[in-house]
Amino acid sequence: MEMLYSVEESAIALWVGESLWGYPFLLSLHVVGLAVIAGIAIMLDLRLLGSFRSLDLESFLPLMKFAWIGFVINAVSGVLLFTSQASYFVTLLPFLLKIGLIFIAAVITGVIQQKIRNASSTRLGLLATISLVAWLGAIVNGRLIAYF
Amino acid sequence: MEAFAQSIEGGTIYTWVTSTSWLWPFMEILHFIGLSLLLGALLVIDLRMMGFFRAIDIRAIHTLLLWVFIGFALNLVTGILFFFGDPMRYAVHAGFQLKMVLILLAGINAVWYSWKIHPAMQEWDANVNPPAPAKLVGSISLVLWLSILLLGRLIPYVSTG
Repeated sequence: MEMLYSVEESAIALWVGESLWGYPFLLSLHVVGLAVIAGIAIMLDLRLLGSFRSLDLESFLPLMKFAWIGFVINAVSGVLLFTSQASYFVTLLPFLLKIGLIFIAAVITGVIQQKIRNASSTRLGLLATISLVAWLGAIVNGRLIAYF
Repeated sequence: MEAFAQSIEGGTIYTWVTSTSWLWPFMEILHFIGLSLLLGALLVIDLRMMGFFRAIDIRAIHTLLLWVFIGFALNLVTGILFFFGDPMRYAVHAGFQLKMVLILLAGINAVWYSWKIHPAMQEWDANVNPPAPAKLVGSISLVLWLSILLLGRLIPYVSTG
């Protein structure tokens, strides 16, 4: 906790929390990043679960490289948003669930990509279901943070 | 718009939205899921139309439109309920008004796509670099929807005007 308090007092945390544009600017980046990583990852999951089958699975791979840019945008903007209220966020259940679900979703999405690259189609339906639920769960909990 | 907003206040839907405590966060969650579906599918379609990711068969991208429509329907319903739950705030909000104008423009752009671009697309090669009109429609769509996304996100932070 001591460490988190010192994070909150850092220059960057003060900019995020107290400047007029810091927080809204980072939230804007965060929603664009969300649309890119979660939006495209969810499309890959839906494709694996049987939607728009006329789109070739392997043709999705270059697109997934682009999708991870959204993940990086949200990791950076997310860490900065976190600094402004670090000691508060770590006590929030929706925040902790969100981080856990993002970790699961990112790992599973990476595994799915690897399997498509290796032309291995085993258990892709199950992995896509887990990924879909985890991304949606992260969105649900992210929104709930504002209500705790 | 203000007269319309005033007529909503006190009505059945207004009373339901404002007196049901779980409804607003629930609708926000649906609105965020809707935007993820809408933007996720549109990013694939628009970027391909702009000439990126040519491995994707351009003749098949319209099948993703199903998820654009599902996302849009979800956000239209929740969006109308937001408006009915706080009409006087939204009616006079410049950011909200601009967002609605941009959604209308995106709709016109979509009509142009389905009328002029889509019929021609079926004749193209799978990995074609699309002609200029298709690139234009894709670019306009992407810029409009990203602006709509940002305006929506900033509504709580911009004062009414």
